[in-house]
Amino acid sequence: MAGEMMTGNLAAAWGARLAGVDYIPAFPITPQTEIVEALAEWCDCGAMPARFVMMDSEHSMMTAAGAGAATGARVFTATSSQGLLHAFEVLYSVAGWRVPLVLVNVSRALAAPITLEPDHNDVLAARDAGFLQIHAETCQEVLDSILMAYRIAEDERVMLPVLVNLDGFYLSFTREPVIVPDPEKVAAFLPPFRPAHLGFKASAPHALGVAVLGGTPYTYFRHQMHLAAMNALQVHREAAADFERLFGRRYDVVEGYRLDDAEDVLVMSNAFATKGRAAVDAARAKGRRVGLLRLRVIRPWPAEAIVAALRGRRAVGVLDQNLAPGLGGILVQEIAATLYHDPERPKAICSFIGGLGGKNIHEGEFDAIVARMEQAGKAGRGEGPVLLYTEAEHREMAQLQVLASASRADR
Amino acid sequence: MRSIRFHGRGGQGAKTASRIVGTAAFLEGLTAQDSPLYGAERRGAPVSASTRIGREPIRERGLILQPDLIIIADESLIDDSSARVLDGLSERTAVFVNTALGSEQARDRFRIPGRVTALDLTDMTLRQFGKPVALSAPLGAVACRLLGLKAESLRAAVAGELADLGLPEAVIERNLALAASCYESVPLVPVEETAGAMPAPVPLWTPVYEPPTVGSARISASANSPLHETGGWRTFRPVLVPDKCNGCWLCFVYCPDGVISMTKDDLPLIDYDHCKGCQICVQECPTKALVAEREQEGAGTWRAK
Repeated sequence: MAGEMMTGNLAAAWGARLAGVDYIPAFPITPQTEIVEALAEWCDCGAMPARFVMMDSEHSMMTAAGAGAATGARVFTATSSQGLLHAFEVLYSVAGWRVPLVLVNVSRALAAPITLEPDHNDVLAARDAGFLQIHAETCQEVLDSILMAYRIAEDERVMLPVLVNLDGFYLSFTREPVIVPDPEKVAAFLPPFRPAHLGFKASAPHALGVAVLGGTPYTYFRHQMHLAAMNALQVHREAAADFERLFGRRYDVVEGYRLDDAEDVLVMSNAFATKGRAAVDAARAKGRRVGLLRLRVIRPWPAEAIVAALRGRRAVGVLDQNLAPGLGGILVQEIAATLYHDPERPKAICSFIGGLGGKNIHEGEFDAIVARMEQAGKAGRGEGPVLLYTEAEHREMAQLQVLASASRADR
Repeated sequence: MRSIRFHGRGGQGAKTASRIVGTAAFLEGLTAQDSPLYGAERRGAPVSASTRIGREPIRERGLILQPDLIIIADESLIDDSSARVLDGLSERTAVFVNTALGSEQARDRFRIPGRVTALDLTDMTLRQFGKPVALSAPLGAVACRLLGLKAESLRAAVAGELADLGLPEAVIERNLALAASCYESVPLVPVEETAGAMPAPVPLWTPVYEPPTVGSARISASANSPLHETGGWRTFRPVLVPDKCNGCWLCFVYCPDGVISMTKDDLPLIDYDHCKGCQICVQECPTKALVAEREQEGAGTWRAK
């Protein structure tokens, strides 16, 4: 097989290296640390001519990244989970500055309780900050998406920062074959960054994202951000076409798998979508007409592509790898709202919550999902949120709780 | 309903004045609503406050766009385009200006159409207190008088609002005396009720995408410090009495805007282009070598000196 074995983290670092970034303000956090380590080493040994600076926190890191990008430099940084939340205040500022940097988030579930493994409550918390969001399924896609992210971010029609998401462990520490693109081709795909509206200099002070008192200018600038994000759909199309021409790999805002004649469609994002494909194959082998829709770009929300893929289906099952307490899944709400205005909307939408904190989704659980979608489609009535949790897992959990109470009684 | 818009500089008491009027109207059994609007910068920056009073429930909110009465706490605001004190002015709007000029002179000097009333509240306050302090009570008093609110309502409102601010009893008493004399002295121009016409429908407009040179919140003009000269925010300037200065550098240390530098001879040098007139240096100076002097003719006069 072509390429070389590489973790998702290293693929992310390669993305930054090939993009020829100028500045990397960094702060490590598990499971993102390997990205920072690789870039630090490359900058140290001269393999990368970028300026690498360790910051004191993600808040400073994101501020430095935004300010660096405001000078016209190409900026890269990465974080994860609580680190993304610590940077949260600055995310909105940086997006409002309209600076086109790339932030990689290695998804990890949020505290408390603390876990190191992924779900998407971290990255989805940032979905309204004004960053565009690309969610990768494979290590190759991580690298490729970073190149595409700069191309989209730096386009005059967009000028917004982009967040590229990869799942902790399932991609961050998972090695799989990755083709490292030819630097000359990358240079053709991603020309040098020449921003017209940026260029912070000590000699010519100006202010970005200044205080605008009153809602009229605020509304205008906020709406410009919305239009810029919507423009990104067209810019993504162009970037994807160029990328395919140069590198032979095609990326769309959403990706369908065995959709053509599918009655019921499972909607997923990120690394577990690979398991979703296997589940579709298994269901197909049993004669069920099931397909998969993977959401790759979450902001801007690709409403048209989603409606086109789901129109006229019998049932849709959305697998949310997140949990909004008091609501259920986050993405299923956006899918349902998107489909509502379509006269040929699916008869039923089912909501499933799974893979929280990196919890595996078993083949048997996918089986149950397919069965419940079929049932809901026939009944013309959706259901959920349904939590993917097995009896065996419940027994295991009960045992852990017994052990925990026993140790408490000892004292 | 009648609507009153107050304009002042941060620290002058426009907000409290708007509350005094709201409270006075409330005490008379009217419906009242008062709300301030101010921004990121404090002392000296243009601020405004809106008060609505009436007999019916008030179905409006926020800044008053077409005021029946405009109260201007400082004449320098009229030439400050960012303060927008005359927005929404019509010939039926009553305007009050705190100025040493008479009413007629003020109308001509500031080119205000309509009915202008003037009184030197700053001078009256200086005579009462001997130093520049907030004009809340005088501004509130003038507004109450022009609106026809009773003297005893004003008195109760001033006492209540200033007590809420934590001012000592003795200071409140002097404010009450000052308010009463302002109430008596202001030339009377009755304030008309807002005509109750229904607003015309407004067509919606959605802006299209514009390049980031236009569509991003980026200001590269002289609005940025230190290119933006904020000396016009000042109503009192700190002035050095060189004989009294012992060169201790405390004014340099305390200046929140860093506009005081020290000469080779250890004398403070004040950058009047950027001094907002907060008077912290005047307060901190141990030898009283810095004194507050009134800016006589509004914004811009500092250039001439």
